[in-house]
Amino acid sequence: MTEHGGPSDAEVVARVLGGDVEAFGIIIRRYEPGLSRFAARMLGDRDAAADAVAEGLVRAYRHLAGCREPERLRTWLYRIVANRCKSHLARRSLADVALDDAPPIADGADTEARYERTEQLALLEGALARLPDEKREAFVLKHVEGLSYEEMSAVTGERIPTLKMRVHRAREALLAALKERV
Amino acid sequence: MMDPRVQQVLDGELPVTALPPELADEVARLEGAAALLAVAPAADARLEARVMAAIRRRAPGPVLRVLQWLSAPRSVTLRFRPVWSLAVVAVFAAVALFPADEPGPVLAADEGVAQFVARFPGARSVDVAGSFNDWRAGEVHLRDDDHDGVWRAAVVLPAGEHEYMFIVDGERWVADPLAGRYVADGFGRENSLIFVRPLAP
Repeated sequence: MTEHGGPSDAEVVARVLGGDVEAFGIIIRRYEPGLSRFAARMLGDRDAAADAVAEGLVRAYRHLAGCREPERLRTWLYRIVANRCKSHLARRSLADVALDDAPPIADGADTEARYERTEQLALLEGALARLPDEKREAFVLKHVEGLSYEEMSAVTGERIPTLKMRVHRAREALLAALKERV
Repeated sequence: MMDPRVQQVLDGELPVTALPPELADEVARLEGAAALLAVAPAADARLEARVMAAIRRRAPGPVLRVLQWLSAPRSVTLRFRPVWSLAVVAVFAAVALFPADEPGPVLAADEGVAQFVARFPGARSVDVAGSFNDWRAGEVHLRDDDHDGVWRAAVVLPAGEHEYMFIVDGERWVADPLAGRYVADGFGRENSLIFVRPLAP
Protein backbone atom coordinates (compact mmCIF):
# COMPACT_ATOMS: atom_id res chain seq x y z
CA MET A 1 0.00 0.00 0.00
CA THR A 2 1.11 3.55 -0.66
CA GLU A 3 0.07 7.13 -0.04
CA HIS A 4 -2.43 6.56 -2.85
CA GLY A 5 -4.02 3.72 -0.93
CA GLY A 6 -3.32 1.23 -3.69
CA PRO A 7 -0.49 -0.70 -5.27
CA SER A 8 2.80 1.15 -5.66
CA ASP A 9 3.70 2.71 -8.98
CA ALA A 10 6.38 0.06 -9.51
CA GLU A 11 3.79 -2.69 -8.96
CA VAL A 12 1.36 -1.12 -11.41
CA VAL A 13 4.09 -0.64 -14.02
CA ALA A 14 5.07 -4.31 -13.64
CA ARG A 15 1.44 -5.37 -14.15
CA VAL A 16 1.09 -3.29 -17.30
CA LEU A 17 4.39 -4.59 -18.70
CA GLY A 18 3.21 -8.09 -17.85
CA GLY A 19 0.27 -7.64 -20.22
CA ASP A 20 -2.41 -6.21 -17.91
CA VAL A 21 -3.32 -3.26 -20.14
CA GLU A 22 -6.26 -2.23 -17.93
CA ALA A 23 -3.89 -1.57 -15.02
CA PHE A 24 -2.71 1.52 -16.90
CA GLY A 25 -6.05 3.03 -15.85
CA ILE A 26 -4.70 3.13 -12.28
CA ILE A 27 -1.83 5.32 -13.44
CA ILE A 28 -4.22 7.58 -15.33
CA ARG A 29 -6.55 8.04 -12.35
CA ARG A 30 -3.62 8.59 -10.02
CA TYR A 31 -1.80 11.27 -12.02
CA GLU A 32 -4.25 12.73 -14.52
CA PRO A 33 -5.54 15.52 -12.21
CA GLY A 34 -2.05 16.90 -11.50
CA LEU A 35 -0.89 16.47 -15.10
CA SER A 36 -4.04 18.19 -16.39
CA ARG A 37 -3.56 21.08 -13.98
CA PHE A 38 0.08 21.44 -15.01
CA ALA A 39 -0.80 21.35 -18.72
CA ALA A 40 -3.68 23.78 -18.23
CA ARG A 41 -1.40 26.27 -16.46
CA MET A 42 1.22 25.84 -19.18
CA LEU A 43 -1.16 26.13 -22.13
CA GLY A 44 -3.94 28.30 -20.66
CA ASP A 45 -6.54 26.21 -22.44
CA ARG A 46 -8.44 23.18 -21.14
CA ASP A 47 -8.87 21.50 -24.53
CA ALA A 48 -5.23 21.90 -25.50
CA ALA A 49 -4.23 20.67 -22.03
CA ALA A 50 -6.43 17.58 -22.41
CA ASP A 51 -4.80 16.88 -25.77
CA ALA A 52 -1.31 17.26 -24.31
CA VAL A 53 -2.07 14.98 -21.35
CA ALA A 54 -3.78 12.34 -23.51
CA GLU A 55 -0.89 12.31 -25.97
CA GLY A 56 1.58 12.17 -23.10
CA LEU A 57 -0.17 9.25 -21.41
CA VAL A 58 -0.36 7.25 -24.65
CA ARG A 59 3.34 7.89 -25.20
CA ALA A 60 4.04 6.93 -21.60
CA TYR A 61 2.29 3.62 -22.23
CA ARG A 62 4.28 3.06 -25.39
CA HIS A 63 7.54 3.79 -23.59
CA LEU A 64 6.70 2.19 -20.27
CA ALA A 65 9.38 -0.47 -20.66
CA GLY A 66 11.89 2.38 -20.93
CA CYS A 67 10.92 3.85 -17.54
CA ARG A 68 14.05 2.83 -15.68
CA GLU A 69 12.86 3.94 -12.25
CA PRO A 70 9.15 3.07 -11.95
CA GLU A 71 9.18 4.34 -8.37
CA ARG A 72 9.75 7.80 -9.90
CA LEU A 73 6.91 7.39 -12.36
CA ARG A 74 5.36 10.73 -11.40
CA THR A 75 8.45 12.71 -12.40
CA TRP A 76 8.75 10.69 -15.61
CA LEU A 77 5.12 11.43 -16.54
CA TYR A 78 5.59 15.14 -15.90
CA ARG A 79 8.61 15.10 -18.21
CA ILE A 80 6.60 13.53 -21.02
CA VAL A 81 3.65 15.89 -20.58
CA ALA A 82 6.00 18.90 -20.30
CA ASN A 83 7.46 17.91 -23.67
CA ARG A 84 3.98 17.61 -25.16
CA CYS A 85 3.17 21.09 -23.82
CA LYS A 86 6.31 22.46 -25.46
CA SER A 87 5.22 20.94 -28.77
CA HIS A 88 1.78 22.53 -28.41
CA LEU A 89 3.33 25.89 -27.55
CA ALA A 90 5.65 25.66 -30.55
CA ARG A 91 2.71 24.96 -32.84
CA ARG A 92 0.69 27.70 -31.19
CA SER A 93 3.43 30.26 -31.73
CA LEU A 94 3.15 29.45 -35.42
CA ALA A 95 -0.59 30.02 -35.24
CA ASP A 96 0.08 33.26 -33.30
CA VAL A 97 -2.55 32.76 -30.62
CA ALA A 98 -1.84 34.70 -27.43
CA LEU A 99 -1.94 32.66 -24.21
CA ASP A 100 -3.46 35.45 -22.18
CA ASP A 101 -6.41 35.64 -24.57
CA ALA A 102 -7.60 32.38 -23.07
CA PRO A 103 -10.42 32.60 -20.52
CA PRO A 104 -9.52 31.89 -16.88
CA ILE A 105 -9.55 28.26 -15.85
CA ALA A 106 -11.87 28.39 -12.86
CA ASP A 107 -12.27 25.54 -10.41
CA GLY A 108 -15.91 24.77 -11.04
CA ALA A 109 -19.03 26.87 -11.37
CA ASP A 110 -18.49 30.50 -10.46
CA THR A 111 -20.86 32.02 -7.95
CA GLU A 112 -21.17 35.60 -6.81
CA ALA A 113 -19.08 34.82 -3.75
CA ARG A 114 -16.33 33.46 -5.94
CA TYR A 115 -16.20 36.49 -8.21
CA GLU A 116 -13.27 38.09 -6.43
CA ARG A 117 -11.37 34.84 -6.37
CA THR A 118 -12.02 34.17 -10.06
CA GLU A 119 -10.91 37.69 -10.90
CA GLN A 120 -7.67 37.22 -9.02
CA LEU A 121 -7.19 33.86 -10.70
CA ALA A 122 -7.62 35.54 -14.09
CA LEU A 123 -5.06 38.15 -13.10
CA LEU A 124 -2.58 35.46 -12.06
CA GLU A 125 -3.19 33.38 -15.16
CA GLY A 126 -2.65 36.45 -17.31
CA ALA A 127 0.63 37.20 -15.52
CA LEU A 128 1.64 33.55 -15.80
CA ALA A 129 0.80 33.52 -19.51
CA ARG A 130 2.98 36.55 -20.16
CA LEU A 131 6.02 34.80 -18.69
CA PRO A 132 8.44 33.10 -21.07
CA ASP A 133 7.59 29.41 -21.36
CA GLU A 134 10.59 28.17 -19.39
CA LYS A 135 9.89 30.50 -16.44
CA ARG A 136 6.20 29.58 -16.43
CA GLU A 137 7.14 25.90 -16.47
CA ALA A 138 9.57 26.33 -13.57
CA PHE A 139 7.08 28.27 -11.44
CA VAL A 140 4.21 25.83 -12.07
CA LEU A 141 6.33 22.77 -11.33
CA LYS A 142 7.65 24.34 -8.13
CA HIS A 143 4.64 26.11 -6.68
CA VAL A 144 1.60 24.55 -8.32
CA GLU A 145 2.75 20.94 -8.56
CA GLY A 146 4.99 21.07 -5.49
CA LEU A 147 8.03 19.40 -7.05
CA SER A 148 11.43 19.73 -5.44
CA TYR A 149 14.23 21.35 -7.43
CA GLU A 150 15.78 17.89 -7.82
CA GLU A 151 12.55 16.54 -9.32
CA MET A 152 12.23 19.61 -11.52
CA SER A 153 15.73 18.96 -12.81
CA ALA A 154 14.71 15.41 -13.71
CA VAL A 155 11.60 16.71 -15.49
CA THR A 156 13.22 19.51 -17.47
CA GLY A 157 16.81 18.34 -17.84
CA GLU A 158 17.98 21.73 -16.56
CA ARG A 159 20.47 22.39 -13.76
CA ILE A 160 19.11 23.35 -10.36
CA PRO A 161 20.69 26.87 -10.27
CA THR A 162 19.07 27.58 -13.65
CA LEU A 163 15.69 26.43 -12.38
CA LYS A 164 16.04 28.49 -9.19
CA MET A 165 16.77 31.58 -11.24
CA ARG A 166 13.70 30.96 -13.42
CA VAL A 167 11.47 30.46 -10.38
CA HIS A 168 12.85 33.64 -8.79
CA ARG A 169 12.16 35.69 -11.93
CA ALA A 170 8.65 34.25 -12.19
CA ARG A 171 7.92 35.12 -8.57
CA GLU A 172 9.05 38.69 -9.16
CA ALA A 173 6.78 39.02 -12.19
CA LEU A 174 3.76 37.57 -10.37
CA LEU A 175 4.31 39.71 -7.31
CA ALA A 176 4.58 42.79 -9.52
CA ALA A 177 1.25 41.85 -11.16
CA LEU A 178 -0.40 41.40 -7.76
CA LYS A 179 0.92 44.76 -6.56
CA GLU A 180 -0.31 46.53 -9.71
CA ARG A 181 -3.84 45.40 -8.99
CA VAL A 182 -3.98 47.04 -5.57
CA MET B 1 13.85 43.46 -7.64
CA MET B 2 12.57 41.20 -4.89
CA ASP B 3 14.38 41.04 -1.58
CA PRO B 4 16.52 37.87 -1.71
CA ARG B 5 15.26 36.85 1.74
CA VAL B 6 11.77 36.41 0.29
CA GLN B 7 13.19 33.99 -2.28
CA GLN B 8 15.05 32.14 0.47
CA VAL B 9 11.87 31.71 2.52
CA LEU B 10 9.94 30.48 -0.51
CA ASP B 11 12.77 28.04 -1.27
CA GLY B 12 12.62 26.74 2.31
CA GLU B 13 16.07 28.06 3.14
CA LEU B 14 14.94 30.61 5.73
CA PRO B 15 12.05 30.67 8.23
CA VAL B 16 9.40 33.28 7.55
CA THR B 17 9.84 34.54 11.10
CA ALA B 18 13.21 35.93 10.00
CA LEU B 19 11.45 38.49 7.80
CA PRO B 20 10.11 41.94 8.66
CA PRO B 21 6.29 42.22 8.32
CA GLU B 22 6.31 43.85 4.86
CA LEU B 23 8.43 41.04 3.41
CA ALA B 24 6.39 38.36 5.20
CA ASP B 25 3.37 39.89 3.47
CA GLU B 26 5.03 39.37 0.07
CA VAL B 27 5.62 35.72 0.97
CA ALA B 28 1.99 35.32 1.99
CA ARG B 29 0.74 36.91 -1.23
CA LEU B 30 2.87 34.64 -3.40
CA GLU B 31 1.88 31.55 -1.41
CA GLY B 32 -1.76 32.56 -1.74
CA ALA B 33 -1.31 33.03 -5.49
CA ALA B 34 0.27 29.59 -5.79
CA ALA B 35 -2.54 28.03 -3.78
CA LEU B 36 -5.11 29.64 -6.08
CA LEU B 37 -3.32 28.35 -9.15
CA ALA B 38 -2.98 24.92 -7.55
CA VAL B 39 -6.72 24.27 -7.46
CA ALA B 40 -7.04 21.23 -9.67
CA PRO B 41 -9.55 21.28 -12.48
CA ALA B 42 -12.31 18.71 -12.23
CA ALA B 43 -11.17 15.25 -13.28
CA ASP B 44 -11.93 14.56 -16.90
CA ALA B 45 -13.39 11.05 -17.18
CA ARG B 46 -13.43 11.35 -20.96
CA LEU B 47 -9.66 11.69 -20.95
CA GLU B 48 -9.18 8.31 -19.28
CA ALA B 49 -11.61 6.71 -21.72
CA ARG B 50 -9.82 8.34 -24.64
CA VAL B 51 -6.37 7.18 -23.52
CA MET B 52 -7.51 3.65 -22.70
CA ALA B 53 -9.23 3.35 -26.08
CA ALA B 54 -6.00 4.32 -27.82
CA ILE B 55 -4.01 1.90 -25.68
CA ARG B 56 -6.39 -1.01 -26.18
CA ARG B 57 -6.24 -0.42 -29.91
CA ARG B 58 -2.50 -0.96 -29.69
CA ALA B 59 -2.58 -3.78 -27.15
CA PRO B 60 -0.25 -6.57 -28.28
CA GLY B 61 -1.63 -9.96 -29.22
CA PRO B 62 -0.55 -13.15 -27.46
CA VAL B 63 2.19 -13.93 -30.01
CA LEU B 64 3.74 -10.50 -29.66
CA ARG B 65 3.51 -10.73 -25.87
CA VAL B 66 5.46 -14.00 -25.98
CA LEU B 67 8.06 -12.32 -28.21
CA GLN B 68 8.24 -9.38 -25.80
CA TRP B 69 8.70 -11.76 -22.89
CA LEU B 70 11.47 -13.55 -24.75
CA SER B 71 13.19 -10.30 -25.76
CA ALA B 72 12.92 -8.51 -22.41
CA PRO B 73 16.08 -8.46 -20.28
CA ARG B 74 15.90 -10.82 -17.27
CA SER B 75 18.31 -11.50 -14.49
CA VAL B 76 19.66 -15.05 -14.26
CA THR B 77 21.99 -16.80 -11.86
CA LEU B 78 24.63 -19.05 -13.35
CA ARG B 79 26.36 -21.84 -11.51
CA PHE B 80 28.96 -23.77 -13.42
CA ARG B 81 31.32 -26.71 -13.10
CA PRO B 82 34.85 -25.86 -14.41
CA VAL B 83 35.24 -29.19 -16.28
CA TRP B 84 32.08 -28.69 -18.32
CA SER B 85 32.89 -25.02 -18.83
CA LEU B 86 36.21 -25.90 -20.48
CA ALA B 87 34.39 -28.26 -22.81
CA VAL B 88 31.89 -25.54 -23.76
CA VAL B 89 34.73 -23.09 -24.41
CA ALA B 90 36.37 -25.64 -26.72
CA VAL B 91 33.16 -26.03 -28.73
CA PHE B 92 32.74 -22.26 -29.06
CA ALA B 93 36.39 -21.93 -30.17
CA ALA B 94 35.85 -24.56 -32.85
CA VAL B 95 32.79 -22.76 -34.16
CA ALA B 96 34.64 -19.43 -34.18
CA LEU B 97 37.68 -20.84 -35.99
CA PHE B 98 35.70 -22.76 -38.62
CA PRO B 99 32.62 -20.66 -39.28
CA ALA B 100 29.94 -21.80 -41.62
CA ASP B 101 28.98 -19.55 -44.52
CA GLU B 102 26.81 -16.68 -43.25
CA PRO B 103 23.55 -17.00 -45.14
CA GLY B 104 21.97 -13.77 -43.74
CA PRO B 105 18.42 -13.61 -42.48
CA VAL B 106 16.03 -16.20 -43.87
CA LEU B 107 12.77 -14.57 -44.88
CA ALA B 108 9.46 -16.32 -44.93
CA ALA B 109 7.35 -15.90 -48.03
CA ASP B 110 5.10 -13.43 -46.24
CA GLU B 111 7.95 -11.27 -44.98
CA GLY B 112 9.94 -8.47 -46.55
CA VAL B 113 12.72 -6.03 -45.74
CA ALA B 114 11.80 -2.50 -44.66
CA GLN B 115 14.50 0.10 -45.29
CA PHE B 116 14.31 3.02 -42.87
CA VAL B 117 16.40 6.05 -43.87
CA ALA B 118 16.25 9.43 -42.17
CA ARG B 119 18.41 12.53 -42.00
CA PHE B 120 18.95 13.85 -38.46
CA PRO B 121 22.25 15.77 -38.35
CA GLY B 122 23.60 16.06 -34.81
CA ALA B 123 21.33 13.36 -33.37
CA ARG B 124 22.90 11.11 -30.75
CA SER B 125 20.56 8.22 -31.52
CA VAL B 126 17.67 7.43 -33.81
CA ASP B 127 15.27 4.53 -33.26
CA VAL B 128 12.20 3.48 -35.13
CA ALA B 129 9.07 2.18 -33.43
CA GLY B 130 5.74 1.30 -34.87
CA SER B 131 2.76 -0.96 -35.07
CA PHE B 132 5.15 -3.85 -35.86
CA ASN B 133 6.68 -3.77 -32.36
CA ASP B 134 3.85 -2.26 -30.34
CA TRP B 135 5.52 1.17 -30.47
CA ARG B 136 8.34 0.21 -28.16
CA ALA B 137 11.27 2.59 -28.40
CA GLY B 138 14.82 1.36 -27.95
CA GLU B 139 14.36 -1.92 -29.84
CA VAL B 140 15.17 -1.03 -33.45
CA HIS B 141 18.16 1.28 -33.81
CA LEU B 142 19.17 3.17 -36.94
CA ARG B 143 22.91 3.60 -37.54
CA ASP B 144 25.00 6.43 -38.90
CA ASP B 145 28.38 4.76 -39.24
CA ASP B 146 29.95 7.51 -41.37
CA HIS B 147 28.54 10.33 -39.19
CA ASP B 148 27.02 12.20 -42.13
CA GLY B 149 23.69 12.65 -40.35
CA VAL B 150 21.93 10.01 -42.46
CA TRP B 151 20.63 7.15 -40.29
CA ARG B 152 19.66 3.74 -41.70
CA ALA B 153 18.21 0.42 -40.63
CA ALA B 154 16.97 -2.61 -42.53
CA VAL B 155 14.34 -4.63 -40.69
CA VAL B 156 12.58 -7.86 -41.57
CA LEU B 157 8.85 -7.27 -41.14
CA PRO B 158 5.66 -9.08 -42.03
CA ALA B 159 4.49 -8.00 -45.47
CA GLY B 160 1.84 -5.33 -45.47
CA GLU B 161 1.29 -1.88 -44.12
CA HIS B 162 2.90 -0.64 -40.89
CA GLU B 163 2.65 2.64 -39.00
CA TYR B 164 5.88 4.01 -37.57
CA MET B 165 7.72 7.02 -36.18
CA PHE B 166 11.34 7.87 -35.54
CA ILE B 167 12.55 8.58 -32.00
CA VAL B 168 15.43 11.02 -31.96
CA ASP B 169 17.75 11.05 -28.93
CA GLY B 170 15.42 8.72 -27.07
CA GLU B 171 12.60 11.18 -26.56
CA ARG B 172 11.59 13.22 -29.61
CA TRP B 173 9.00 11.38 -31.74
CA VAL B 174 9.19 12.51 -35.34
CA ALA B 175 7.19 11.45 -38.38
CA ASP B 176 9.29 10.41 -41.37
CA PRO B 177 9.27 13.44 -43.71
CA LEU B 178 10.04 11.10 -46.60
CA ALA B 179 7.29 8.58 -45.87
CA GLY B 180 4.92 10.05 -48.43
CA ARG B 181 1.93 8.49 -46.69
CA TYR B 182 0.63 9.24 -43.23
CA VAL B 183 -2.27 8.29 -40.99
CA ALA B 184 -3.80 10.25 -38.10
CA ASP B 185 -2.85 8.81 -34.72
CA GLY B 186 -6.10 10.00 -33.12
CA PHE B 187 -4.35 12.67 -31.09
CA GLY B 188 -3.91 15.41 -33.63
CA ARG B 189 -0.66 14.13 -35.09
CA GLU B 190 0.26 11.72 -37.83
CA ASN B 191 2.17 8.46 -37.99
CA SER B 192 4.15 7.55 -41.08
CA LEU B 193 3.13 4.57 -43.19
CA ILE B 194 5.35 2.01 -44.86
CA PHE B 195 4.29 -0.81 -47.13
CA VAL B 196 6.50 -3.88 -46.98
CA ARG B 197 6.42 -6.07 -50.08
CA PRO B 198 6.56 -9.83 -49.52
CA LEU B 199 9.63 -11.76 -50.62
CA ALA B 200 7.47 -14.06 -52.71
CA PRO B 201 5.02 -12.10 -54.86
